[in-house]
Amino acid sequence: MEPILTVENLQKTYGGKGSHTKALRGLDLRVFPGEFVGIMGPSGSGKTTLLNCISTIDVPTAGSIRVDGTDLTALKGKALSRFRRERLGFIFQDCNLLDTLTGLENIALALTIGGAAPGTVESRAREAAQLLGVEEVLDKFPYQMSGGQQQRVAAARAMVTRPALILADEPTGALDSKSTQMLLGQLAQLNRQAGATILVVTHDAFTASWCQRILFLRDGALYQELHRDGADRRTFFRQILTVMSDLGGDDSDVL
Amino acid sequence: MSFKLAFRNVRRSIKDYAVYFLTLTFGVCLFYVFSALDDQSAIQFLARNNNPNVEAIFVLVGVFSAFVAVVLAGLILYANQFLMKRRKRELGTYALLGMPTGKVARLLVTETLLIGLCALVSGVALGILGSWALDKLTVAMFLAAPEEIFSFNLSWKAAGKTAAYFGVIFLIVMAFTSLSVSRSKLIDLIRSGRTNEEVSRRPLAMSVALFLLGCVTLGTAYAILLTRGLLRIDLLWFIMLGLGTVGTFLIFRSLSGFLLRLTRGHKGYYKGLNMFVLRQWSGKVHTNCASNTVISILILLAIGVTACSVGLNDTITASVGNQTPYDLTVLNYGREGAYENADIPQLFRDAGLDTDACFAGVESVTVYYNDPELTGMPAAGYYAVVALSDYNRLMAGRGLPVLESVDKPLRTPNAIVNGPAADGVAVVPDDMISQLTPRRQMVNITYAGNVSKVDDLVRMTLDEAEDFTGGLEIMMNYKLDNYYDLIGAKILVLYMGLYLGLVFLLTAAAVLALQQLSQAADNAQRYELLSKLGAPRAMRRGALMRQVALAFLLPLALGTIHAFVGMKAANEVIQTMGRVDSVHSSLLTAGLLLVIYGGYFLATCLGAWRAVEEKGR
Repeated sequence: MEPILTVENLQKTYGGKGSHTKALRGLDLRVFPGEFVGIMGPSGSGKTTLLNCISTIDVPTAGSIRVDGTDLTALKGKALSRFRRERLGFIFQDCNLLDTLTGLENIALALTIGGAAPGTVESRAREAAQLLGVEEVLDKFPYQMSGGQQQRVAAARAMVTRPALILADEPTGALDSKSTQMLLGQLAQLNRQAGATILVVTHDAFTASWCQRILFLRDGALYQELHRDGADRRTFFRQILTVMSDLGGDDSDVL
Repeated sequence: MSFKLAFRNVRRSIKDYAVYFLTLTFGVCLFYVFSALDDQSAIQFLARNNNPNVEAIFVLVGVFSAFVAVVLAGLILYANQFLMKRRKRELGTYALLGMPTGKVARLLVTETLLIGLCALVSGVALGILGSWALDKLTVAMFLAAPEEIFSFNLSWKAAGKTAAYFGVIFLIVMAFTSLSVSRSKLIDLIRSGRTNEEVSRRPLAMSVALFLLGCVTLGTAYAILLTRGLLRIDLLWFIMLGLGTVGTFLIFRSLSGFLLRLTRGHKGYYKGLNMFVLRQWSGKVHTNCASNTVISILILLAIGVTACSVGLNDTITASVGNQTPYDLTVLNYGREGAYENADIPQLFRDAGLDTDACFAGVESVTVYYNDPELTGMPAAGYYAVVALSDYNRLMAGRGLPVLESVDKPLRTPNAIVNGPAADGVAVVPDDMISQLTPRRQMVNITYAGNVSKVDDLVRMTLDEAEDFTGGLEIMMNYKLDNYYDLIGAKILVLYMGLYLGLVFLLTAAAVLALQQLSQAADNAQRYELLSKLGAPRAMRRGALMRQVALAFLLPLALGTIHAFVGMKAANEVIQTMGRVDSVHSSLLTAGLLLVIYGGYFLATCLGAWRAVEEKGR
């Protein structure tokens, strides 16, 4: 099977001549269609940089990123915007929904920006809302929803355009444990039922335990890869904690 | 320390302050220009000639300037509040770092002072230029201007007055600023970025009902105005004003819900960023309905005052053009009330005037007593009649249409002489004249060469002549006298109208611009999200433009409708004084509106886009 995301020898250096920081030092990774992949690592390991490069918000210094056969580094301007809205879906930690739009309209926005036929917009948005179990808040404004509902509406918006890849950056960072469980349950279901490919960046072992495969980063390179291989979530959670304590290792940085 | 910080803050945020600063500068500039009117050479020339309107101009400038100062003070306070709101977080950071509240307040006061001083200096500088241009323009309005009257005057009095008025305004603003800073809580300052928009969710029926109620209220106000006219000021007049204001308010209050519900069923709602733009606008138009009401009333005043003053100005110009066709008319009342014809040019020659060099044309005409029984013209309206051939001779001399024949007497279509003596004259067939008694000789003189020089010579001759008339009773009607009166009246009407109109327009546009720009921080977050969702640059820019355009156009639309109705009522008042060229005045007003309102619109679009893009990158 062709991978949906291929990252090869990705490098990113910040700073000018005097001092520079290598955020990514030649990273390779592949994500296949229908996968639910987590990326973990301590602060400064390059998680966010990697995500920014994949989501075309940042430009890598060297290496290549291919999504669904398209080389991102070759895209510019309009083509880049087009790629972003058609092939990628985003879920962010916060500041996610537009406060002036209702739940339904927030989901619909992703479609209307993409130039979807106006007649189909509402029904498609409702369908996506159903998949994520947020039908009851469609007519509410973000400030009338709970944090978990907001994130699930954001998830519905991310998948409503049927993107090749959904990118989630610390999606549970601002949620309580109950909302976290609910959101991840829905994402996992989305992954299973609709076959959506999801890439989650997280600090949180509990969040990561819902994934099928986890990539651990350290100092801008791949440190270890963990496969779930049919294990139940509790077992997988323990395995993750073990890797995390190894990863923390000599560093005082406890995750 | 705090001065240095204040200076740096001002310099760094110069672009944020640009609209505020420009508005202040324009305000100061207008204030100076009109305060400096009494030192303008054209006005001084009129004052020397004992023009009756000059005193009125001075009094009105004083009254209007006080009024304008109040309006501008309101604007500055409003703007300051907006700027404060925008910087709450920055101020919170200062306080968090341990800067005492007094020092934060001092910092803000210093900033206000710096901006105020800059605006004052640049405003007065611009005002001096503006005053010079206006003076040139006024002099150009003079017919055959005496060239030497124009001189460049710098009005220290006006500069002092401007500095004093704006000094007081800035003192009030500073007091207000320090008060509000010392009373604010740190937690509010820090958290100010996160405020939830209260979006009303009234049912459609309610919005529709409110909207209709607003329309009916406004319609009632219009009906009262149109049936009763503009100038009957009594209790009902104030009720009309109240109804108009309430109606406007209700329409703004309900329009967002109303329009939103209407468009939501429409397919275009889910097209591009339409939904986003409409929601952005509707949230704000709801919270801003009070200020929108004020803005639309300001626009009404701006359009109304400007158009009326331009129209009235045109009316005056036209009426004097018609009323003084000749450079000089000599009215010969005869000797002891009895008619006596005289050779007027000969009288001038006897007094020592070179009439061949001075007079290009002399037309003498005799008018006769009106005998109502013979002519059929009422004695009350017509004091004299003129023969058809005489009338046609005068008209032909001026290149005006002549009358082929008159079956029965009629009112003279055009004035036969200068001034009021031309009113109440009827044209009669020549054969009727032989049965009438001559009443008065009228001599129309056209000068040769420079009008004002010849005019001076003529007046000097009359002053120096010992017994010019030799017992005849003679009156002079000079065109230049009429023109100076006219210019006085023109300046009175036109300048005062433009002064008020410009200030109103400036205030309305500035309030709108500030409202839009103060939302820049909130907008930046939203547009950043749009960018992340893949909305291309052009799409985002279009959305922002439409958002600003909606905010600008709505009050303009309602204000223009108000003005249209108001002008209809006002025209009836003006028409009693003469014909109004409504096309010209409307065009001029529209042009002014386009330049100022459009200018502010463009500046706001650019500013808002810059703020959004800076954050988005």
